[in-house]
Amino acid sequence: MTPAAPLSPAFLDRLATAAVGEGLTDAVYASVSTPVGRLLVVQTAHGVCRIAFAFEPEDRILADVAARIGPRVVASRDATAAARDALAAYLEGEDTELDVPVDLALVRTPFQRTVLEGLRRVPRGSVTTYGELAVAIGRPKATRATGTALGRNPVPIVVPCHRVLPRGGGVGGYGGSVGSYLAGPRVKRALLELEGALPAGDQLNFANGS
Amino acid sequence: MHVVAQPLPPFWSLVEAHGPELLGHARRLAGPTEAEDVLQEAFLRALRAYPRLRHGEHLRAWLYRITTNVAFDHAARNGRRRELPLDAASEPVAPPDRAPAAEDDAFAALIGTLPEGTREALALRFVDDLPYDQIARRLGCSPAAARQRVSTAVRTLRGTLAP
Repeated sequence: MTPAAPLSPAFLDRLATAAVGEGLTDAVYASVSTPVGRLLVVQTAHGVCRIAFAFEPEDRILADVAARIGPRVVASRDATAAARDALAAYLEGEDTELDVPVDLALVRTPFQRTVLEGLRRVPRGSVTTYGELAVAIGRPKATRATGTALGRNPVPIVVPCHRVLPRGGGVGGYGGSVGSYLAGPRVKRALLELEGALPAGDQLNFANGS
Repeated sequence: MHVVAQPLPPFWSLVEAHGPELLGHARRLAGPTEAEDVLQEAFLRALRAYPRLRHGEHLRAWLYRITTNVAFDHAARNGRRRELPLDAASEPVAPPDRAPAAEDDAFAALIGTLPEGTREALALRFVDDLPYDQIARRLGCSPAAARQRVSTAVRTLRGTLAP
């Protein structure tokens, strides 16, 4: 058998453009470099459905998208350009608005949807706590469940779960997975700092992780 | 206990995993200038059918099959099929203006008339020169079935060319 060289980027671009043009995709994806690391951006025709950090395994993310949204998952830099540019500009501090359409298709439960939609009332520059957010959405006893729902936010940054902090101080967890244990809180601090909302004195706890 | 069907992987993982060898296959069937067009059309055809697949098994064989079919369709679209006999009584294929390098293309056009399922077996046997166990693996069938398909193809061709 002849040894197979990888397909050329030009061929892959043409294929992706044709697939998108013909409406054959359930989701498109590409990565973008930002000050908080490489982000994987996945979107449907309705909006961004998944943003993943470098500490999350890309193949698992895409397999999940394929299983729960649709298997026609295609890499396309063109089709994701607007969302990727907006994220990069926001995270580099060029823009203070992050106006990206969101598709909550990967949200598993109505409760989680309610929690994530409740974040709309937490604007850039302000923060809230898990308990306050639980009260705000009318589920004052569900503080812990609120934290869990935020940990499973499929579209971090755009749906700003980083603005929710534990009452006891520090920034709390971020990313909701084992891989995020160390990297997650660092990203969360960077996002809060960018937005001018890092709690005073938090830097002193930097080494503690949470 | 029942077996859970293997889910369909993200389509692009198939492009990345099998694209390079499929391009080689397309090149052997359709020639170097047409290969990328053939492969693109094959992937688009696969993408159109992908959501209707019931499980994620034998996807590599499935993609080989589609690429083979697209290569034959390309050959036909390029007009070579017109040179084929329309019925068994016509003259056998002998395009007078055939360039020596076009032998593969003529072969492709010829076996493009074979029943679905046998022509890819034939191509793998005589174009890719694979042994039956490898053909079986590509097509997702047993070596005996692969041999059967090739022999059906050969028999059909004999019937077409020398009635």
